[in-house]
Amino acid sequence: MMCRTGQQQEPHEADEAESSRGAFAALLEDSAEELYENAPCGYLSTLMDGTIAKINATLLGWLGLDREAVVGRMRFTDLLTVGGRLYHETHFAPMLQMQGEISGIALEIKQSGGGRIPVLVSSSVKHGSTGEPLLIRTTVFDARQRRAYEEELLRGRKAAEEARRQSEADRARLQDALAVLQQSLLPDILPVLPGVETAASYHTASPDRLGGDFYDVFPLDGKRFGFFLGDVCGKGPQAAAVTSLTRYTLRTAALHDPDPVTALTTLNKVLHERYAAGSGDPRYCTVVFGTLEPDPDTGQVAVRIASGGHPPAIVTRADGTADFLPTPGGLLVGVLPSAQFTAATTTLAPGDTLLLYTDGITEARTGPDRTSLYGDQALLSFASDHAGKPASALIEALTALLQRFGDGLDDDTALLALGAPTAGHRTRSSR
Amino acid sequence: MSPLKITTGYAATGPVLKVLGELDYDNAPELSELVPTIPLRPGQCLVLDLGGMVFCDSSGLSALIAAHRHTQAARADIALAAVPAHTLRILRIVGLDQIFPIHPDTASATAP
Amino acid sequence: MDIARRNNVAVTGNPQGRTVVLAHGFGCDQNMWRLTLPALAEDYRLVLFDYVGCGRSDTTAFSAERYATLEGYARDVVEVSEALDLRDAVFVGHSVSAMIGVLAAAMAPERIGAHVMIAPSPHYLDDDDYRGGFSADDIDELLASLESNYLGWSAAMAPVIMGNADRPELGEELTDSFCATDPDMARVFARTTFLSDSRKDLRSVTVPTLVLECTQDVIAPREVGAFVHAAIPGSRLVTLDATGHCPHLSAPDATNTAILNFLAALS
Repeated sequence: MMCRTGQQQEPHEADEAESSRGAFAALLEDSAEELYENAPCGYLSTLMDGTIAKINATLLGWLGLDREAVVGRMRFTDLLTVGGRLYHETHFAPMLQMQGEISGIALEIKQSGGGRIPVLVSSSVKHGSTGEPLLIRTTVFDARQRRAYEEELLRGRKAAEEARRQSEADRARLQDALAVLQQSLLPDILPVLPGVETAASYHTASPDRLGGDFYDVFPLDGKRFGFFLGDVCGKGPQAAAVTSLTRYTLRTAALHDPDPVTALTTLNKVLHERYAAGSGDPRYCTVVFGTLEPDPDTGQVAVRIASGGHPPAIVTRADGTADFLPTPGGLLVGVLPSAQFTAATTTLAPGDTLLLYTDGITEARTGPDRTSLYGDQALLSFASDHAGKPASALIEALTALLQRFGDGLDDDTALLALGAPTAGHRTRSSR
Repeated sequence: MSPLKITTGYAATGPVLKVLGELDYDNAPELSELVPTIPLRPGQCLVLDLGGMVFCDSSGLSALIAAHRHTQAARADIALAAVPAHTLRILRIVGLDQIFPIHPDTASATAP
Repeated sequence: MDIARRNNVAVTGNPQGRTVVLAHGFGCDQNMWRLTLPALAEDYRLVLFDYVGCGRSDTTAFSAERYATLEGYARDVVEVSEALDLRDAVFVGHSVSAMIGVLAAAMAPERIGAHVMIAPSPHYLDDDDYRGGFSADDIDELLASLESNYLGWSAAMAPVIMGNADRPELGEELTDSFCATDPDMARVFARTTFLSDSRKDLRSVTVPTLVLECTQDVIAPREVGAFVHAAIPGSRLVTLDATGHCPHLSAPDATNTAILNFLAALS
């Protein structure tokens, strides 16, 4: 059995060898000439002036031309489209002359029927024995598939660029709209108040975020002025809507009745009805509201103030001291349908300043690893270091302090200082 | 980062929620959404044990107020227990200490 | 602004010799003069530069608005001349640069004392009796082709050209400069070049002028050379036995001889 098997295999192996020898012989019969003529790419050779001296059947087939019409009669550039000819003259030929070869250049050849075939062209110069250039050999590859793919990529890139332009335009438009809305939340400039120096500053933690802090100063009647500063809980457009409602409610309420407790009570009612009652989206704010009444005879300013859940104001005195002005009992505005607020009063003598702030400054993270909070005692101590200075100087010093916090400042911070000017310091306002 | 974790327990006085981690802008809605699902009968008291809470911002306060609102609607009470010092200070500033009974710990909050 | 840096200005040759400015045309940069330099360097001071948006110029200085007209490129020439305080220089311009030189001389006549125009063309379009070599359709096709980026300014071409690293003697700067040309800036130059019509400006040329043309040039056919010669009174026309649009590369000896003869006759 073993032997027979072995014998049986012999003729089989012989068959295989026979057929492989046959294929190899057929390959050998595929002469160099045959390969040149019918290769799967175009070949041509030109004289140095571009006159076509030799061209293969594959390329003639693509062109739809007879050999007699081409050889000795046409130049390489005659096969190209106008754009291709131009590229050839301005780029291809100079580089070939300088480098002796060039490869993979994208061009288009014209067909006799008027069609075009995108091709990739490579050329090299053949030199004679003494180094003089003799002729240029060129291969031409059909790049139709590749070009279609490239055009697809190009279309994709154009679409992406268009989309990017569109989204940048949209973004710019939104930022413009945002800037206009933000202006409605804060006064552009503070009004000039006779007998009171005002200064304010708003530090935005992120330029894209709509601020949740707010302040305002405005005239009430012939002799009094209203002011407020506060912080809406939450972020973004919803918080900005609450800020806007709060600002205009307080201004309107104060014109009706300037008493701070009444103004905050009205605001509480409005916010509670608008957001808390029935809606599943309760919104609150903390705010200090007050009135100023300067006395032109003494230079003193009478302050009446009430707070709704807001950190206490600081009063700096001309003698270099500073203290909190307690406003106890005030509840976060908008939480309960009816809330109790109590008023506090003080008098600013010339050189005294009332400072209002939001908790962005006291909650700023400080220390080497940004884990401690700046705190209200540090703020009080900072304020007392600047006690006796004009309101604008206090705000400038605090703004510099905020800068020093750097990325330790997470939240927006609003600052408002209202001072009774000293005799030498005339009424002015700055922001 | 310590994300928020809330465990639910029951005492004779009513449900007790232990808040662990951060009650901030990202996490606070979890508490707001959880509270309405806790069974609460009229007269019971919902205790929020904040002993394990490491951070609470204004969004956290909003969640506490939402819980207060919910218990009022259910004609039940709410109390805070083991409030961390920093949060207690903020509660006082914003006046919420006036509307939340505040207990040193859950034991005293759930004492009959 | 540092003009020398902006236009990649290089000064070489004989510092005592008369200044010859060599200005490349569209599709090229100052590397195109490397076969011209050796012939001129002994007797002449040579100034080479790249127009903004070409070669190794400072592309941040490019402005599509400024370079939408040949005057914009001519201002490059004037600014380079001012930076070097050139007087009476010979301006050798290839192709469209010959026309840019004419415009620059009109702006600052004291800077340019003679022109050598290599394969110049003041207008590429056929119209009425004028034969520029291209029909309106050809130019449209050309510009459309350039816009569609198919001519190989696409990124696909860069690796191909850079692939010729086996010939380091050609220098990185050559392959670099071809690759570095920003396709958008090349398109602006192409559009400005092929839509230009400087035929009237030729009449302003009053300085000695040499016009070099090739026997076979698909971009600037011989009719164009004859037109330029006829339009500039007193100009000399030399027809080089050369094919293509860049005789200074394809027939450098004949080109250099013609330039040297002209320069010698100037002094």
